[in-house]
Amino acid sequence: MEIPYTVTARKDTGLFNSKVGIWLFLASEVMLFGGLFSGYVFLRIYSDYPWPERALPIVPGLINTFVLIGSSVTVVFAWASLKMRQWRRFQIFMGITIACAGMFMVLKGIEYKAKWGHQAVRMDDFTIVEGHTHYGAIMSNGEVQHFQKKDKAKEAAKKDAEAYNKEAEARAKAAAQTKGEDFAGLPDDQKWQAGDYFKANTLLFQPDTVEFSLARAHRNWVNDLVAQAEKRQSSFVTGKDIFIYGDIEDYSGSAEKPKSNDERGREEAKLIKEYAAAEKMPRKLGSNSLFIPAGTPLSYSLLKEAREVYLAGRSHNSETRTAILRDNWKRVKEERPDDKYWEQAPDAQIDSASQLDEQLDEAGKVTSGSKVISIVSTLSFRMDPPQPLVIKRGWVKRPVKESDGKAELKDDTALNAGTNGRAEVAPGLLESPLALSVDAVDFRWMAQKAEEASKKPLDVIEGSWIFSDENKHAGTYRRLWKLHKKRIAHLEERLKDKYGTDEEGNPKRVPTETERYRMGWQDLVQYARVENDGQRAVPGDAAFDDLRPKFYHGFAGPNHKDEEIHKLHAFPELEIPHEKVSLESMFTPKWNTYYAIYFTLTGLHGLHVIGGAIVLAYYLFCSKGLYRRNPEWLANRVEVGGLFWHFVDLVWIFLFPILYLM
Amino acid sequence: MADTPEDIKNAQKKYLLIGLILFIFTVVTVAVATVPWLDFGEHGFDGIDAVIGLLIASVKATLVGAIFMHLNHEKRTIYGLIVLGVLMGLCLVVLTGWAFIDPIEYGSPVEGDGFYNPPETVNQ
Repeated sequence: MEIPYTVTARKDTGLFNSKVGIWLFLASEVMLFGGLFSGYVFLRIYSDYPWPERALPIVPGLINTFVLIGSSVTVVFAWASLKMRQWRRFQIFMGITIACAGMFMVLKGIEYKAKWGHQAVRMDDFTIVEGHTHYGAIMSNGEVQHFQKKDKAKEAAKKDAEAYNKEAEARAKAAAQTKGEDFAGLPDDQKWQAGDYFKANTLLFQPDTVEFSLARAHRNWVNDLVAQAEKRQSSFVTGKDIFIYGDIEDYSGSAEKPKSNDERGREEAKLIKEYAAAEKMPRKLGSNSLFIPAGTPLSYSLLKEAREVYLAGRSHNSETRTAILRDNWKRVKEERPDDKYWEQAPDAQIDSASQLDEQLDEAGKVTSGSKVISIVSTLSFRMDPPQPLVIKRGWVKRPVKESDGKAELKDDTALNAGTNGRAEVAPGLLESPLALSVDAVDFRWMAQKAEEASKKPLDVIEGSWIFSDENKHAGTYRRLWKLHKKRIAHLEERLKDKYGTDEEGNPKRVPTETERYRMGWQDLVQYARVENDGQRAVPGDAAFDDLRPKFYHGFAGPNHKDEEIHKLHAFPELEIPHEKVSLESMFTPKWNTYYAIYFTLTGLHGLHVIGGAIVLAYYLFCSKGLYRRNPEWLANRVEVGGLFWHFVDLVWIFLFPILYLM
Repeated sequence: MADTPEDIKNAQKKYLLIGLILFIFTVVTVAVATVPWLDFGEHGFDGIDAVIGLLIASVKATLVGAIFMHLNHEKRTIYGLIVLGVLMGLCLVVLTGWAFIDPIEYGSPVEGDGFYNPPETVNQ
């Protein structure tokens, strides 16, 4: 059947089908992006923290704007070529459009990667520090070394592992020789595994025991801990025999043959002895109970098995309690049928806890099916021998202090330090400073808090940790801040001279909060250049201003690998003690609502670019047949695809100034 | 078919010109935002800079819409659909704004402090 109005217009609307369809769709897209843009506006106006102004490097966004505008032009030309029946020309222009889409996504990918790799830290006094995190490696002797580059950390860990293995092999060989045996090489499980580096925004914890919640233990974290222990030739094993009851029949027998408490206890002891003497494997008992002998290694499948048993026991308990409650209410309603329920309640004994002990019938015999069983909800494992574990801050429930002796993960796993005899080998939280190369120090939030508390911002800033003697790099930061204050003071003067004051004597223009309180990477580079120059340039000289990087430097952000920056040590180091870190994150939605809305807007827009490119690619590669049969229909379809493409361009025309320039 | 092949042939020069104008306006947007002597209003980013930026963006959007998307000679149905979409979008904005001016939640001179108070200290 021929679809009507794909080429000829309808008489009432004067339009062919796909045009109405695409405009309907675009109207819905206007609502979608309009809603998100308004989200941006409200998040910015009502943000309770200083909104990052001009935080994004402009150049990639600018190139992307040119790319998309160009692709809009070429898609129109592609449609025009089809209308004029010039197939080759259509192919060329469509190809350029799709290539532009590809370039857009590549640049977007570069921008995103730069953000995901950029560290931000908020300290407990609201200082914000940004930069690139260092990497650490744990050596075979437990020592932790820090490195600026990931490769160096990897290399150091590898070298250390090689040295350890060489030594271990030599020792094993010597031992084999004294015994007169052949030495076949060091077995794999005795080799130290290399490549064990971590990002210095994590915690190091050396536990004695680890307790897993059976209901909530998270598979990825359990496997990660097991793998870490394995790498350091350690393991998690159960410290004692554990018996988990899952089913009431095992526990108190059936209705015909109930068991008393004593009987249960005797049976349990017998079972434990029997299984402890036999194999060292976890063993299902009866229909649903589980026996785990001491020395069983940790694995997620073990936890899963134990979880099934635990949940069976827990649901049995809740059913039992419900049954008791129900029986009580039934009895009370029969005894006092005319009373309201709140009058009946005192007699109903709704506190079932009092009835959960041994149930006896009139003859004094134990009844079964009316008991709750004691259930095991956690499994405890010893780390043997205790080794440092790398724990991500995001896993931990609340800030861990050394004195806690315990770290609780968000899946209720508890890592415990050793006590008394074991405290030395298993001290718990190890020194875990957040080490990074800093490319921005932002005091704006601290200044905002100071003003709210009616204090002078500068006083509060200068009393902050980063300038105090507790920070071993404080000298560098004090010098930078001094130069920064000079520059801003001079800027203030210059603005006052140029624009004058109003009637009350206040200058008409003042430096922005961002300029006053934030030292961005351009500032740090400028000040490093000034210092390198022997402080010959001072604020006020043209030479001083010339030393500042222009907005087009640093393509997708401050480049820590840049030779000049590296030579000048423009980005200083910082080691923030663990307790002073309030929030650490990459430049991702976790960090603040600015990045949340940025990734939402640009991510959704990027998906639209990909979708549009796929449709246009379909027209480019798969439409020769349609062109031969019905070229006008194809032209209409390409026009409609082009309309979508223009819309995507329109959204970017608004996104670019809003996100990048404001 | 609103556009005949002849019309389209003549329009190509126009498309190229509009493309060039869009490029120029992009440069203007960046210049207004980065060049110090083009900074209107307060020093740094303030309301007037937002207005100028959005104005230039609107001009660009109008050019793309009118000429590339053929809206300058489109049928009434389409105009109706667009207006409907924009109106609905505005409703979304108004609804959100309405929530934010709620005095019970956010406070007002008459109602006093709202019960929404941003946290004093934030800890992870």
